Amino acid sequence: MESNWAAEHLQVIRTLMERSAVYRRALAPIMIFNGALGTAAAALGRAQRIDSPRAFILFWSLVSVVALAGSFFLVRRQALKESEPLWSPPTRRITQAFLPPLVAGLIISAVVLANVDAAPEKIRNAMGLLWLPLSWVVLYGCAFHAAGFFMPRGMKIFGWAFILGGCGLFAVGIPDFVHRPGDYAYGIMGFFFGLLHLAYGVYLYFTEKRRDGT
Amino acid sequence: MNPEPFLQLDRVIHEKGRLAIMSMLAATPELSFTEMRDALDMTDGNLTTHIRTLQESGYISITKSFQNNRPLTTCSLTASGKKAFTNYINLLEQIIQQNKPK
Repeated sequence: MESNWAAEHLQVIRTLMERSAVYRRALAPIMIFNGALGTAAAALGRAQRIDSPRAFILFWSLVSVVALAGSFFLVRRQALKESEPLWSPPTRRITQAFLPPLVAGLIISAVVLANVDAAPEKIRNAMGLLWLPLSWVVLYGCAFHAAGFFMPRGMKIFGWAFILGGCGLFAVGIPDFVHRPGDYAYGIMGFFFGLLHLAYGVYLYFTEKRRDGT
Repeated sequence: MNPEPFLQLDRVIHEKGRLAIMSMLAATPELSFTEMRDALDMTDGNLTTHIRTLQESGYISITKSFQNNRPLTTCSLTASGKKAFTNYINLLEQIIQQNKPK
């Protein structure tokens, strides 16, 4: 029947339009890179006892700059290999989706950094070593969830894992068995920005469509 | 039933491969040749033929450039292509509407 045929045609058109708006860079190398970096940074920070809230914030700010630069390099390399523009419309959309939560995280970090030394020690530790890392986790999850609308894989679920995990740990606070708040903070960062990325990267590595040059 | 909408469907767009290209280009300002080839799972020759037909009809424009010494071909819908695609969608919707049980 003609109407069925027309409806099917429209559905095919809709699917293709959605597909063309989706970000298609291989995400496994980016996830594995960031996971390895997050795990190594957490181990290094803990081993070096970078425990003061100020040093902790500055240390992770530096790690995030390295992570951003590395991710940019990997995306650029893929684009060059496939003779595609780096700043493609899907890349623009992903960047726009990521930006608000990441800018919020940056502003909150700057505010905490500016005020943390003036606060009493207990508040200082809670601000810099619990609330701030968990804010990063939750905001990062929001960023991935927003970007997930333009990505082909389970990025939204990945985002939700950060949001729910971060909020859950906010509710729990620093458990009594933790003697050094710094260890707990590095544990949070290592788990969310290290191990979770590594696990998802390995999953993507085995499931992502393997294309030439990626 | 009024057969008019069906008869008005643009034959250039109506072909499966060309409709797929037009649909993808309608959702984004531009796409590279390789992006379309991979997304639509077409051969280089097949995609080139369809692109040429659409270009000759004035529906898409092609830009050839170099990126890091490698050729880069990008396609985008022209104003005429956008109009033709919108018209095609409207006709499909008309066909669905007029066949709806009243």
